[in-house]
Formats: sequence, structure tokens, C-alpha cells
Amino acid sequence: MNLLLSDDYLLQDYPESMTSTIRSGHATMLRFNRKGDYLASGRVDGTVVVWDLETMGVALKMRGHNKSITFLSWSKCGRYLLSTCQGWKAILWDLETGQRHREVRFRAPAYMAELHPENHNLFVASLFEEQPLLVDISEPVDVKRVLPSAPRRSNTDSDLALKEKQAKEDAKQMTTSAIWTATGDHIIAGTSKGKLNIIDAKTLEIIYTEKICTGVITTMRITGSGRDLLVNSQDRIIRTFRIPNLSVEDLDPDTIQLPLEHKFQDVVNKLSWNHVTFSATGEYVAASTYNNHELYVWERNHGSLVCMLKDPKEEQGVIEWHPSRPLLAACGLETGRIYIWSVISPQKWSALAPDFAEVEENVEYMEREDEFDIYAQEEIHRRRLDAEDEDVDVLSADHAKEGDDLENFRMPILFNLGESDSEDEFVAVSTGTMRRRSPGESQADLSAGAESAAPVRKKGGAGARGGRSKKK
Amino acid sequence: MSSPDELARDTPPPYKRRRTGDTPSPRSSSPDVLAGDPDDFRPPRRVSQRGGGLSQSPTKAQYLNDFSRSQTPSRPPSELARRSRSASSSGSRTRSQSPVHSTPSPSRTPRSQHRSRSPTSTTQSRSESSSPEPQQLTPPREPLKPNYRARLVLRGHTKAVSQVRISPNGRFIASASADATVKIWDANTGAHMDTLVGHMAGVSCVAWTPDSNTLASGSDDKAIRLWDRVTGRPKTTARKSAGQEMAPLRGHHNYIHCLAFSPKGNILASGSYDEAVFLWDVRAGRLMRSLPAHSDPVSGIDFCRDGTLVVSCSTDGLIRVWDTMTGQCLRTLVHEDNPAVTNVCFSPNGRFILAFNLDNCIRLWDYISGSVKKTYQGHTNQSFAIGGCFGVLDGEAFIASASEDGDVILWDVKNKELLQRVHGHEGVCFWVDVHGETMATAGQDGSIRVYRHIKQSGEVNGNGTRELSKAPSQGGMLQGELPIRQDDVKLEDAMS
Repeated sequence: MNLLLSDDYLLQDYPESMTSTIRSGHATMLRFNRKGDYLASGRVDGTVVVWDLETMGVALKMRGHNKSITFLSWSKCGRYLLSTCQGWKAILWDLETGQRHREVRFRAPAYMAELHPENHNLFVASLFEEQPLLVDISEPVDVKRVLPSAPRRSNTDSDLALKEKQAKEDAKQMTTSAIWTATGDHIIAGTSKGKLNIIDAKTLEIIYTEKICTGVITTMRITGSGRDLLVNSQDRIIRTFRIPNLSVEDLDPDTIQLPLEHKFQDVVNKLSWNHVTFSATGEYVAASTYNNHELYVWERNHGSLVCMLKDPKEEQGVIEWHPSRPLLAACGLETGRIYIWSVISPQKWSALAPDFAEVEENVEYMEREDEFDIYAQEEIHRRRLDAEDEDVDVLSADHAKEGDDLENFRMPILFNLGESDSEDEFVAVSTGTMRRRSPGESQADLSAGAESAAPVRKKGGAGARGGRSKKK
Repeated sequence: MSSPDELARDTPPPYKRRRTGDTPSPRSSSPDVLAGDPDDFRPPRRVSQRGGGLSQSPTKAQYLNDFSRSQTPSRPPSELARRSRSASSSGSRTRSQSPVHSTPSPSRTPRSQHRSRSPTSTTQSRSESSSPEPQQLTPPREPLKPNYRARLVLRGHTKAVSQVRISPNGRFIASASADATVKIWDANTGAHMDTLVGHMAGVSCVAWTPDSNTLASGSDDKAIRLWDRVTGRPKTTARKSAGQEMAPLRGHHNYIHCLAFSPKGNILASGSYDEAVFLWDVRAGRLMRSLPAHSDPVSGIDFCRDGTLVVSCSTDGLIRVWDTMTGQCLRTLVHEDNPAVTNVCFSPNGRFILAFNLDNCIRLWDYISGSVKKTYQGHTNQSFAIGGCFGVLDGEAFIASASEDGDVILWDVKNKELLQRVHGHEGVCFWVDVHGETMATAGQDGSIRVYRHIKQSGEVNGNGTRELSKAPSQGGMLQGELPIRQDDVKLEDAMS
């Protein structure tokens, strides 16, 4: 609604300066929800923290993992959050209650697990040294189905030696990253050998394979529209691809093409990239650099470098672009702080005094014909009232989209978080004296917090007034 | 510690609404009057069966003991009937219904003659004839006919009630009073549920969170307190020491005058006599942003429906629209006459701002074009920060406002026509809040009145205005009794 009043569209649409730093423990993973009002962060100690971007404060903390969080994925409605950790399990959280909704165990640590775009009871997980899984948790017992990683072969001729060789190769293929297409009909998977597979989510067969790079594929992202794919691999090149429309009727797997659009790389410094992300519309690509402090932002039209963000003196890990605004979040590898870059829109001074206007240069004032005529006060008043014949509609909203937003899940407001520990880096020693908390100490505090939080939570569930008082 | 009464008496700026607590109304706290209520109510109801939509005026008149003779003296039914005819004939331009069904109360006749001047009435008739607003049910446009009837009188506050708010789920009523307490009532039965004690001075404002479980109250002691509706106690923060009470939000340098929660409930906006607007992070109880908003006390504040805009107004005559996220002022609205603005709210769709001015006008602003779209007149508002709101009945919007003569007035949004004048309080009526078919008002007389819209379908029979059990006598109870009452509340929670 504020967009009706602001002319922020005149501003640049990529972030330019760091606007805030938030911290809760050591963050390793970030993800915005679809609407862009909450940011989930996963910590080294396994805690999942949900941030409210409007207040820049902690909205929810969820404890259940005890190893570092590797991936987070929001459901479409924003009510469920799937987290995976290095400890061989994934948890689907229900943010309404702040409790775990489901827990799924794997036979290996999980690189990532992404929820189906529509169905929060279905997700695809890629595991360390294991084949990826499609997990259905709509039933009380979860159903895991193994997805193939071996590339699709077109040659069916029976050369035995070749087949053996291929089988050997296939055994080494491991899926390192698997994401859904926008419609949720297909899964795009990247392997440790630089191959990209498109898997039909119904038949679980690979319908398309292409070798797109030489190194391990580490990150894959698609835009909100689902038409562009961003791939980061260990060969120090970021690639973007156009995704063909896979949802057409009678799709012929042999006609699928995945045209390469851009390659982004730093040819001078030969940097490799920690993490990559698309901007809200896909117009920009941002990447955090390995062993370096900068964030690189390219635009996709010409493939040129737009800017380098270099504020904190720290190497950045995971970066995330806000789903609608020019806002970029990244977490520092060393401190685990979350840095946020965005655009600062300048205060329009004419907004403060409506009878003033901001002009670029001098303008000759044109006097209205009756501007200085004198009328009786009643006359003016009557004219004003008579002029109010416009039809007004105070009920119906302008955009249907906004209406949808209101029907979406609304996260309960918890009051028992205490002081949001974005400040917990510092401890008050005595009046006016603060000192930085040492890492070990904060760990101790966190576990203590977890212990004290657990009984309180139970009490709140029983309806006592001590605990989570906002829970329904 | 000095008593709240004394504190409240300390500070008397002229037009602030809770100042009025200086004149305690002895009648309101007397149990005798309360016991007499039902009897006082019943006979006039019978009148209403005969005289059509008149029920509440005589009710009020009799009940209020001839408080304001100029407005609604109690009269024999015959005379009431006569006056109603004259009222409906004078109002016949605006209504096609038969006199029996016409909503205007008897007092409408003299009022419409001497108060609403000819411009208004010409506007009324013109826009009535050309109004293109068809309702879904009936082929010819049937104008929106709010018919709010008096239902309950809630007594218990010992001083004037400055604000009353119906919870978003419609089940509770919260009232803030100059007696330094906030009371929670059951909107349906009128049962007193809790008294929130803790403020050191008169309470000016209350606000409900969207989930109806938390209340914020702002007081002249410069503090904002958050209350748990279920327990009736301050909100607790349980980080390490479980059940520790949340400290009040402090930061304002002067009286808190207005409060509003964002639609998500994560941000609380407060306006104060220190001329600033504060935005609070509700979860952490932390001051998020302070906006140097005005050059006079901030008198009203509201969030738009998606929470991205905050509007504030002040007696300096300015209405400012702020971006919640950045804290920047996006628009300033000033009327040419620069009348003091004492209350603002967004329209339900967030496209317009309703501003209550101290020149007896309520103005509907289009804040994007920066122009006044409608001006509503007919009430009295010259010295108090009285409040009102939008109401919606059958998919049609109307505007409700309190009036300093104690009435509540409802207007049609589109043609500015006065739809109903509801008789309310003796003395000033400070606030009216509408939630669907329920309407609640707060008055200088220390009482809260609850009204219910009765659909007029053909013949009006009196059984719609059945007198419900009134349980306000539990009023001014002490905090010591609270634990017992909590059980009731919880039980009631579980049942519904």
C-alpha cells in the first residue's frame, strides 16, 4: 500500500549499501519466505530462527536439530518450514505452534531438502554420498522414493565394454543439489560430475541430461517465474540457463533444450563463488566470493558486473535476495552475523509540507483566475461541500493480490522471546560497561536457554499463563 | 503512592478526552441505579412496539433522568409517536420507507432543522436521487439502514471512559477510563470479565492485537502496558525466569494519547503528548523507531490494512502518512482551514483516511491525491478528541462518530446522508466502535453502552430488542478477586 505513495520505483533496483546487521547465534543458512516478510536463518548449533523483517527482531526460535543447519525451505503458505542439518535428518516445522510437525531421518547428512512448491507434504532431499530421495510425508509413515542420479543414455547398442564403463561412471554420480521446477512437475538435479538431470516427479525417471560444467554443482536456483536457472559449480563459473516449458502436453524428452544464457566469472582473480542467488525478478545475479569480502552483482541483460558490495570485513556465505524488494541478506562465515543490504530512499521534503513542491529549476508561477478573489466563508464552505460528489469506495481493495495476502497464514506473535538476542553478542558487566561475549560462553548460554525454554513450552501448551501466551 | 484519582486530576489540558474524569459521575457507580436498570428499560420497549423504531430514544431519555432536556426529554408515548411522525416526514426525502420503519429518533427533528444547514440537505436529496448504489437483495436501491438499538449498559468505571474497543473477533469489549483501569467485558452478555489495574494515571487508549488475545493500554503515566486478555494480567516474558511480567513500554515523555497495532500484531504504534509517534517491536518490547511527527500532541494513529502505512494526526492540523518500514513521511494532509485533527483512521480498504476535525466536521481524505472527498456534518465536536470508525453492514459501509452531546451519529459514506442518530450518554460521548452488528460507546458518564443492529424486515416487532441479562454490577471489583474469575473466563473460552 505504501507503493501508492512512494516513487521508489525511480530508485535503483539492486542494493547499494548495508542497512542493518542482525545476529542470533552463528547463522549458516538463510531463506526468505515467499511474501518476503520473514527471514529464516539456520544456526551452527541447529537452532532455526525466524526473523521478522518489519521489526528486524526474532519472531520465533525452534530447537530440534543438534547439528549445523544446511538448508531451509518455506512452504507456499508460509506456515511450514523445512530444515535439514548435518545430523542426518530433516524437520518440518509448523510455525503456528513453533513445534516440529514432522521429522524425517536419512541414512546420511543432507545437503538440502526443498519443499514442493504447492504441497508441503512432499519434498526432495539430496544427501551426502547417497542417492537423492523424494519424500512424501502426507501419511503418518513417510514414504521415501529414491531418485536416479545416473545420466540418461540415448545409445542403446549393446557394447558390453562400454556398458560396463558407463555403469562404473554412473556409480560415481552423486546428486548434490535438487530443486523443483516452478510448477512442481519436475525436479532439476545437479550431480557431482557436473551433469544436470531433469527428473519427472511422477515417473521418477530422468527425462533429460546434460553435462553443463566440469566441477561439482553446488547451488541451483530458479527465478520466481521458473523460467531461468542459476547454477554455481566448483569450476568457478556461474551459469544461467533458460528452462524450457516442461509442463506442455505430450512433452518429447528428446526435444528438450536447456540453452546456456550467461557465464559469470572473475577472470582476473579467478575467484570461486560460495553462494549465488537471483534477484526478485531474475534481472540480477548476486554471488558471495570464496576467500574474499565482496558480494558481486551482475545484471542479466548484458551479463555485465553492476556493483560489488564490500561493507563488512568478512567472507560471506549464503546470500539471499528478497522476493520483492532490492534487499540482499548474507551471513558472515566467521561471525555468523546476518548482513542486510538495501536501498535507502531519501526523504522527500515536499511530503512534509504539502504546500511546497520540489522543483528542479525555477518555475514561473501562474496565478489562477480567481485565486485572490474574496468570498464569504459560508460560500467557500458550501462550494466545497457541493464539490464532493465523487463516488468513493472504502471497502473493496485495489488489488486482488492483497486480499490473498490477508487470508494467508498469520504467524502468532510471541512475547516470551525476551530481549531478542540480536544484542546477545554483548554482555553487561557492570553499569555502562559491556564486553563482547566469547563464543564458548554464548554456546553455554544457548543450551541453558534451550533447557529453560523446554518446560516453559510445555506449560504454555497446558494453558498455564507462564509460557507461550499467544498460542491458541 | 497517590491514588489514581489524584494523579488524573493533576493535569488538565483543555480538550483531551480523559481529562473529563475530573467530574466523577456519582450515579454511575451507584449500585441502586444499576439494580433499577431493567425496570427502567422495559416500559419504553413497549412503546417501541407501537411507535416503530423509536425504542431507544425514550429508553435513554427515561433512563438518563432528563439529563439533557433540549435533546430527549422523556415524554409520554403519544407525544413520542407524534414527534416521530414529524421526524419521518422531515426525513422523508432521504427514505422511502413508511414512517413506522424510519430510524431517526425523535430528537432528529429539531436537530436537522437547526444544525444541518441547507447545503447538507440539498446534497442529501440530490445524491439520493442520483445515487447509483444498488444493493444485491432488492432491485431498487434500498439505502443502508443501520438500526442500532440500545442493548446493554456496562457500569463499573468510576470516572469517564475515554475509549472503548471491540476485539477483532467481536467477542470482547475493552474500555479505558480516567480511573486508571482498563476493563474487559463480554460483548455478548455484557459480563465484566477483568479489570486491568497497573497504570498510575488515567488511561486514554486501548488497542487489541489482531488475534484478540492481547491488549495494549496507554496512560497519562507515560507508559504503555501490554495485557494478556486470558489471564487479565500483564504479558509475561519467559526467557529464563518463567512468568516474569513484561515491563511496561516506556519512552514517551508525556501522556500517551493513542495506540494502534499493525495488522500482523508485530508492531505497536503510539502517539503521545510529547508530539512524537513511536513504533514498538511488540515481541521484544523494544522501541523500534521514533518519528518526530508533529508540533502538537499526537491525537490519533492508525495502520492501513497491509501494515505498510501509519497515519498520525495532531491538533496542529496536520495528518501525516508514514512508511512503517523506513519511518519516512510519505504524505502530509492539511485542510485549508487548518482545523485541529483529533482522530484518524484508514478506510477498510486502506485507500482513504477518515479525519475527525474540531470544527464539527469529519473529513474523508484521498491521501494519494491529497484532497478531501467527503465532509460529514451533523455531530458536535469542538473541544474533545472524540472517536469514531467505519462500520460495515450487508456489504455497505457507513461512518460512525461520537458526538459531544452524547449521541452517536451514523452517516452513509457515499452520499453523506445521516443514517441514524443513536442516543447515548449523558455528557460527552467520547468513542464509538463498531464491529458488524455490535456497536459500543464510551461516555463521560463513566458507562459503556452496547448496541445491536436489528434488521428491519417488514413490520418491526419489539421482540428483536429483547432485554438481555445485564451483569455489569460486578463492576469496580477488586483485583483480589481476579483468580476466581479467571477460571470463568477460561471456561467460557473453552466453550466457544
